[in-house]
Amino acid sequence: MIREFEGKTEKEAIDKAIAELGIDREEFDVEILETSKKGLLFRKGTVKIRVHIPDGSKARVNLEPENDEERRLKEFLEKLIEKMGFPGRVRIALRENRKLKLDISSDHSGILIGKKGKNLDSIQLILNVFAGRIGLEQRIIVDAEGYRSRREMTIVRLARRAAEQVRRSGGSQLLEPMNPFERRLIHTSLNHMRDIDTKSEGEGLYKQVRIIYKGTSRR
Amino acid sequence: MEKELVEYIAKSLVDDPQGVVVNMIEGEKSTILELKVSPNDIGKVIGKHGRIAKAIRTILSASSTKTGKRVVLEILD
Repeated sequence: MIREFEGKTEKEAIDKAIAELGIDREEFDVEILETSKKGLLFRKGTVKIRVHIPDGSKARVNLEPENDEERRLKEFLEKLIEKMGFPGRVRIALRENRKLKLDISSDHSGILIGKKGKNLDSIQLILNVFAGRIGLEQRIIVDAEGYRSRREMTIVRLARRAAEQVRRSGGSQLLEPMNPFERRLIHTSLNHMRDIDTKSEGEGLYKQVRIIYKGTSRR
Repeated sequence: MEKELVEYIAKSLVDDPQGVVVNMIEGEKSTILELKVSPNDIGKVIGKHGRIAKAIRTILSASSTKTGKRVVLEILD
């Protein structure tokens, strides 16, 4: 990922990048684009830098809306949380072909996330309907303070631990109820383990995944 | 306020925003919000298997934790 920053000095521009991206100086490369010095003795000059951030970095990305639809979507979410009584800032954290991720920073992110992300899921559903109405074709992901990314890691870890346990016990283990996205994460993260099977149980949106030890395949 | 919240969500989801009306009935422990939309728009605020209605209710109850008063949303048809 590439971002550009500007400051009165090179150091100021780099400090801005660090503050906005929320990562350390060692985690990105800096390329100086332009140094302009107005007047004598380097007063009031500006330095423009280009920052290169490796893929998979935990940088707090803040992308500018690329079109009217994205601008409207961002405003819609800002207004929605404000009307809920939990004002905050919204940034576009990720833009891919089929995915657009918005992240909320708010003093009230705990309640915006809700128990097991329930409130966030509901906000995300409404955002997806709204996005479809204004002609955005990407799937919209709504996050708050990186909750979904952290939850993703927790779930993968949980799945692996459960797999270890059933391997030892030879039985099966039923996990807590999860939404479809989280269940898919469990299935895919254990897919490569040939002695482990995963199955969803129950009805409705929040089913439970059972992790089953099926033994070593004889084939 | 919860009434404005429901109005805001509903108006963003329907084809006829002017057809959106929310009535508030205040009780002692709970508030009832009655949402009325144009007949053609009912599906848009309810959704398949009531998914949108459920999401609006969840958002509403998150919002009402501020005041501690229960808010009930009824969609009239």
